[in-house]
Order: sequence, then C-alpha cells, then structure tokens
Amino acid sequence: MARLTLDHVTKRYGDVVAVDDLSLDITDGEFITLVGPSGCGKSTTIEIVAGLTDATEGSVHIGDRNVTTLPPKDRGVAMVFQNIALFPHMSVFKNVSFGLRLRDYETAEIERRVDRAMEIVQLGGMGDRKPEELSGGQRQRVAIARAIVRNPDVFLMDEPLANLDATLRTHMRTELQRLHKQLDTTVMYVTHDQAEAMTMSDRIAVINDGTIQQFAPPLTCYNEPRNLFVAGFIGSPGMNLFDGTATADGFNSAAVSVSFDHSSDIPHKITLGVRPEDAYLAGSNRAERLSAPSTAINAVVDVIEPMGDEMLVYLLCSDEAAADAESVQLLVSVPPETDVEVDESVQVVFDRSRVHLFETASGAAITHGLDTEITPDTDRP
Amino acid sequence: MSTEPTSPDAASETGRRSGPIASLLQWIEGLSEPQFAYLLLGPVFLILSFVAFWPLASTFEMSLHANSLTEPLGEFVGLDQYVRILTGEKVLIRPLFDLDYPLQSAIVVTFLFTVVTVVFETIIGFGQALVLDRSFRGRRFVRVAIILPWAVPIVIQGMIFYLMFDPSVGFASQPLQQLGILADQPLNDSASSLLIVIVADIWKTSAFMALLILAGLQSVDRDLYDVAKVAGASRWQRFRQVTLPLILPAVLVAVLFRTIGAMRVYGLVVASDAGCSTVPTLSCLVVETLLSTNQYATAAAVAFITAVIIGVFVSIYIVRYAQEVV
Amino acid sequence: MSTSTPDTEDSGRIERWVTRAIYRPERLYRVLFYVAVFGFLFGTLFPFYWLFVIAVTPRELLGTVGLTPQAFHWQSFVEVFEVVPFHMYVANSIMLAFGTTAIVLVVASLAGYVFGRLEFPGRRPLLLVVLAISYFPPAAFFVPLYRLFAGNISLFGISSPNVLNTPAALLPPFTALFMPLAIFILTTFYAQIPDGLEDAARIEGTTRLGALVRVIIPLSAPGVATVAVLTFIYVYNEFFFSFLMTTGEYTDWSPLVYGIRNYQTQYTQLYNLMGAASLIGVLPVAILVAFAQEKIVSGLTAGALKE
Repeated sequence: MARLTLDHVTKRYGDVVAVDDLSLDITDGEFITLVGPSGCGKSTTIEIVAGLTDATEGSVHIGDRNVTTLPPKDRGVAMVFQNIALFPHMSVFKNVSFGLRLRDYETAEIERRVDRAMEIVQLGGMGDRKPEELSGGQRQRVAIARAIVRNPDVFLMDEPLANLDATLRTHMRTELQRLHKQLDTTVMYVTHDQAEAMTMSDRIAVINDGTIQQFAPPLTCYNEPRNLFVAGFIGSPGMNLFDGTATADGFNSAAVSVSFDHSSDIPHKITLGVRPEDAYLAGSNRAERLSAPSTAINAVVDVIEPMGDEMLVYLLCSDEAAADAESVQLLVSVPPETDVEVDESVQVVFDRSRVHLFETASGAAITHGLDTEITPDTDRP
Repeated sequence: MSTEPTSPDAASETGRRSGPIASLLQWIEGLSEPQFAYLLLGPVFLILSFVAFWPLASTFEMSLHANSLTEPLGEFVGLDQYVRILTGEKVLIRPLFDLDYPLQSAIVVTFLFTVVTVVFETIIGFGQALVLDRSFRGRRFVRVAIILPWAVPIVIQGMIFYLMFDPSVGFASQPLQQLGILADQPLNDSASSLLIVIVADIWKTSAFMALLILAGLQSVDRDLYDVAKVAGASRWQRFRQVTLPLILPAVLVAVLFRTIGAMRVYGLVVASDAGCSTVPTLSCLVVETLLSTNQYATAAAVAFITAVIIGVFVSIYIVRYAQEVV
Repeated sequence: MSTSTPDTEDSGRIERWVTRAIYRPERLYRVLFYVAVFGFLFGTLFPFYWLFVIAVTPRELLGTVGLTPQAFHWQSFVEVFEVVPFHMYVANSIMLAFGTTAIVLVVASLAGYVFGRLEFPGRRPLLLVVLAISYFPPAAFFVPLYRLFAGNISLFGISSPNVLNTPAALLPPFTALFMPLAIFILTTFYAQIPDGLEDAARIEGTTRLGALVRVIIPLSAPGVATVAVLTFIYVYNEFFFSFLMTTGEYTDWSPLVYGIRNYQTQYTQLYNLMGAASLIGVLPVAILVAFAQEKIVSGLTAGALKE
C-alpha cells in the first residue's frame, strides 16, 4: 500500500551495464509491468527493488521510506518467483505462514491470516498438503498466498506464469487481475511476454538494454509506440517496418511508397510502420470503407496462415522496375473467409490514419497517422 | 491493502528484538556478499591452517635444515637434503633394488604399484559399473556386495590377504608357488609381496572406480541410446560411439583420484604384514626414515619429494586431459 | 550350456545353442551378463567367506584348513573379545569416527555453502587450495603434528599441551584428511538448490544466515547425510594416523587398527581369532553400506563431478 519510486537506478557487473539510469514512479495501487526481451535488465530491476541485488547507483523508495540499503526482509515487499520457490520441506500451511512465524505473530492471528489468504486464492483446506502433492497451478497459487498473507506494501512478481502451460497461464492471468482488484496493492510484474503485459497492466514499462523505452498504458504503447523498439516488441504478430527515404511527396522505398504532405524539416532517412490489421487487400469490403487509403502496393502471396478468427497472409512486394531488388515481406491480417491463394498477385492498401513514421537512425517516432500535416515533435527524444 | 488491518509492528520488525546477538546478526546481514563469504570461511581456514597448512609449511621448513636429534631444527642447509636424496648420496633405509639409490627404488615400487592397480581397477570397475547400471532382480544386493570391499578398513583388508597368503593357513600360496609365481615365503619376498599387495588393492578399490564410473553412466541421457538404436547402431557400436565418449570424463576423474590414492599407499603394506622393508613405497620411505632413524629433516624432504611427484603427475594429467576433466 | 553330457549329444547341443545365439544375440548377452554378475559377486565376497572359514576352524585343525570348514568352532567369536579387548578398539574407532564426522559436518557445511552459493573474489583459487591438501601424502603432515601433540612446540614461551593418546591428537589429522572431499561434495549439493528458494526466504523475512539455517541446510539434508556416511567410513578405515599417533593400548584411544594388529603381531598363531576379529570389525561398515548405499553412490558422484 504504497507508492514505489526508482530514482536513476544503475546496476553494473564489471563492464556490463545491466540497468542503465532507470527511473520509474509507480503510484499507490497501480499494476505495472516491466516487459522486454531476455537479458534486457528487467529481472535485475525487480531484484533491486526486492533487495536481492544492490544497485550500483540510484535509490529506491517505498512509500516515503528510502529502502535502497535495507535487507529484503525490512522492505515490506512480497515476491512471487518464476520457479515458484515453495519450500519443499514444508507443508502448504508452513509455507504460507513462514513470514508471519518469523515475525512472531500469535498462533491465532497466523491461522486467521493464512485461512483468509488461502480463501482468496481458492485453496481453502489444503494447508496440510506438501508442495509436491499439488498441481503446477495450485503451487503458483500457494506462492501467491504466501505473498499476500503479510499485507506487503508492494507485490513483486518475476515471470510468475512462465513455467505454466498455455491454458493455465491464461487462466492465472485473469486470476491475478481479479486478485489485484480485490487487494488494491501496488504490483510490479516482470514478463517477456508482451501479451501478458498488455492484458494485465495499468501501465507497461518497455525495457531494452537496461533503459526504459516507453512507460505508458498498454494501448498507448500499442497505438503510439515511442520508438522502433516498442513498435516491434509490442503487438503480435509484429508491426511491418520498411526502411526508406522522405521525398517531396511522401515516403519512398524499393517496394512501398506512401504519399503524404509534410514540412521540410523531416529527416531524410525514415522508417514506415504499419500493423498487419491496418493493411488491407485492395477491393475488399474493409478497404472500400477506408476514408484515406494509401496508393495500392503490388505484392504476391507467399504463405497463408489461417488462425480461425483471422487469417495471416505473408506477402512479398518488390519493385518490378528493378529485377534484382530484394523482395520485402509484408504481413496482412484479413478476415478468415477471404479468398486468396498462394502465388496469387494482389494489391494492398494501408489505412493512412494508422501508419507510423520513425526516424531510422534514432528510432524515435515522428508521427502516428498521416491524416494531417506532419510537423516533427521536437519534444520526442 | 484493504483486506487486513496493517500489522502494527510491521515496520518495526527489526527493532523489536534487541541485545548483542540481535545487533551482531544485524551487522552480519549488512555485510556485502564477499565480506559475508569471507566471514563464513573463517572457521574452515582456521582449522585447515592448524591441521594442514601449518604442518605442511613446517615440514617444508624442516626439510631445508640438517637432521638434529636435540634441537627442533638443525642447521639451515637449503636444498642440500633434496640434493643428497636425489643423487643417492644420502643412504636411507634398506632399499629394494639398489643400495645406492633408495629413493629410486621406492619410486619404481610405487610406480609399478600405481600403474598396475589403476589399470586393473579401471577395467574391473568399468565392468562392475556396466553391471550396476542395468536394472535386474537383486540389484540392491549386488550393489552392496560390490561396494562392500571399498568400505573394509585397510587393516582388515591387509589381514584378509595375509591370511590367504600366509604359508601356514593360506590356501593361495601353494598352487601359485608350484606355478612359480610366488616365492617360498611370499610375504618376505619383494616381488611376491608386491603382487599380493597389488591384488589386495585391486580387490578393495575397484569398487571406488565402479562407483565413479557408474555416476558417469547414469548421467548419460537415455534418449541418446534410442537415437543410436533408431540410427541402426549395434550394441557394440552404441557402446563405442555413444557411451564411451560421454563417460570418458568420469573415467578420467576416477583414474586421477585413484592415482593420487595409489601413490600414497602405506597402510596396506604394513597391514598385510609384507612390511615396508619388503615393499618400500614412497610413503614407507618417509615413515621409516622418521621412526627407524629419527632423521626428521630427511624424512620431511622425502615427504615433499613424494608430494611433488604426485603434484607433477596430477598437473601433467590435468593439462593433458584438461578439456575432459575440468 | 551343459558340458557333462556324452560327446555326440553335447556337440549337437552346443551347435544348436550357437545357432540360436547368433540369431538371437539378446540371449547371449543375457548369459554373458549373468556370468559377469556372478564373477563379480564371487570376487568380492569370497575373501569374506575365507575369513569365515578361518574363523570357525578350531585351532588344532588350522594346519590343514581347506576351502570348506571342517568344523564349526563358534567360540572363536567369543574368544576374540577375551584374548584382546577387541570391542574396546572397535568402540574407540566408532567414537573417533563420530567425532570427526561432527566436526567435518559443521565446518564443511559453512564452506560448502560459501563455495556453492556465494560469488566473491578468490572463490576458485581458495577452492583449489583446499583441493591441493589432498595431493600431499599423510606423512607430510605427520612430523609437525606429532611434535605439536607431544608438547614439543612452543608459541610465545607457552609449550603445547601433551595430548598424545587422547582424541585431541587424532581428530585434527582426520579432519584435515577428509575435509576437502566433504567440502567438494557439499559445495555441489548446495549449488543445486534453486536460488529462488533462498530469495524467497529472504523476502519473507530471514537474514542470509536465517535462510541458510531454515531453508538451505534442511534441503541439503541428503547431501549432509552423504558426507556423514562417507566421513564415518573413511575415518573407520583410516590407517596412517590411527597407526602412528597411538600406542596400541585401548585405554589410549587406539582404534581398530591396533585391535587387529595386536593379533597379527602378538598372537601370531591365533589365525582363527584374526579371522573372527576381521569379520566383526567389518560389521559396522557393512551395516552402514547396506543401509546407505544410495547415499554413497550419490555422494561420490557429486564429489567427482565437482572436479
């Protein structure tokens, strides 16, 4: 029940910088997720908050307490681990009550709290079991009960669902959201799975190379990615990205050209991004309804992946004028009943209001949507 | 946090307990990880310095001095002891092959003992490990039977072979004497005694090899055998192409351990009643120099020569098989 | 494979058997396998049988002892305690083994935890120093320790107490001999405990020491038990220091080594009692091996793989 602040936290292992000048301000009761590829520093960050790793520089505050140098036990945090980490030599009751017993709570109080925590995770009456007698999902819920029984100020969860199978993972995702609503505690959650991050969080911190790429609500990260990394990492399947140049009348590359009006100070080398669901086969109903479609792009169907609710069509577009030019892949999501065949030639249009432009060199976003005159936002880093 | 009233003492957990022990624990918790590690290593290295490092250093220092019966240390003579032992100028105890070169005799005896026992123990241990690696009825019993000699005290191991080869009760001497393998009084004859000591060591220590090799066998992924089977490999090919390369590291480690052990052999020689005068191993040489002649400094030098020989051997071995072993 | 049948029938049988073996090699392997098993069993167990034969043979028949007992003179197993107080030597050995095991367990536990779970500068060199101790022959430790225990070493004018013929002269060298192996085995066991468990304990409110005592040591119980069994067996087996640091009197804490040696050197005609004493001396470790065989295998595995 507290605000959690990381202030210019840096962690170095010898010459390797795992976390690089990272600052986060998490409000009381917020559910935030650190997401990024493996090795990006997200786990190190949560370990620094927990006190399992010491930061090289910077400070961590929980509420108004500076906890930077406190041992884990004095920080008022609870943690759920990827490998679940139940003590195999203790019963479920002993596992859940471990922290309370260490603090010499009275027996009656311990029992009351454990019962309540076990009710919350829907495992009432399982206290006498050993961890090895439980299923993977039950073990994970015991680990959660162990975390909530102490009324921590902050919940830390380090990939808690990574070791569960797909069905259980989806189920536990919902459970965790329900739990958060019920307890209203500040949660810091780490995952490499962007879908998990999107579905559960109030805000997402996308991390790469030890620095925060974007810290915003999930849909903001999705619709207005601040840079190329976020654009490519958030969303599955990923955004189509084309490297090209800014010309007088818009974006131009070997295979893809999109016209737009712009002021003169736009960078020369730019990257155009469009999500698969914002690209349409020309002539389809959806394409007809676009208010401002781009000019059609020629392409050949390469691979078709029916997903049930949608169909992913992998296209190859190439500049027919230059025979030796490499063909560029373009992924389009179409309704499942769409009639296309492999090797068929098709035309594709983009929804101009959903096209993103990035500066190729820095990766920084220039604009999201091409409806209006573009003036580069100088505030964006 | 709306479900529970916040515990009133939640923030003051650490302050609640007081006293010197609590503050000591708090101080320990505040140490960095390396400091914490060194603190915990304190007792170990304290004990090891007293029972291992100091005696070794002291032995080394002694070896650099002349023998003295009255003073703890004689006159400082540098490496003179080593030079005199290695050149054979210094006559130690009754040597085996050549009165002028006692150390060389001991090296030959120890080397013969080591090579022969380690070769046979590896072969037999390998066979035992292959048997124990399979599941069959009565495996527990067979495993106990195979491990048992390894657990037999050295003094009893010596006694067993003494009783087998003693001419008055032993059944083993007479047929072997008729074949011309053993001498009339086998435990008084160097060659015969060495043979008996070697057999005794193989009997006891093959099980140690078997256990280490078994460990290697059991860590082999069983799926690999199926892959080889599907690929059409015969039983022999599976052994040669899959099993052997994968357990080679375990075998090499076992051979290393056994070699170190064999080069230090002492108890078996005494316990089988062959005695250090009949089978003078390197360790024998140290003890006899010490107790029979009271030449402490010379004994210390011999001990260090032994350690150096073992150390050189181990280093060559590790460098030679570095990839497999480390 | 019958060999006692008449020739004609025999050759026919062998031929059939060989044919079958060629077409069904699995059968041949099974036969070879059981031949190997019985070969090993015979090799390892026969010496114990021989001890038994010697032990139950009355003294007057020892001159003509064969491979089977001619009589059963069970009294040997009683006399063995009367001629020499053999039980006292065994008891001394067992107590020394327990003492060493206790010291080794406590000290090696700490070291194993540090080497197995903590990161610090010098970790590898320090571990190698511990390993290097096992390169030296016991004789290299002997002289200084003997002089120290005999009261011949003085530090700042205070000479060391004479502790020869007490456990204080035997436990330190035993500890030095078996500490390296114990540390290696425990390092491996401790390293295998998932980091998450220690982290979880510390988040829940223990200190690092608390996590060691409440979580890591309980979880390493199998490893600790293994080290206990191995140390016990090694000390019970030890010859060098047992032989040289004691006088041979059971009242001076002389262990099993002298219980057996006294028969070999003083009662040189009592072969049957030597056999009986040996069998009785093996009994404690035989029981231990039978009950702890899995621990022994896993312990040596861990010790070896650490290399």
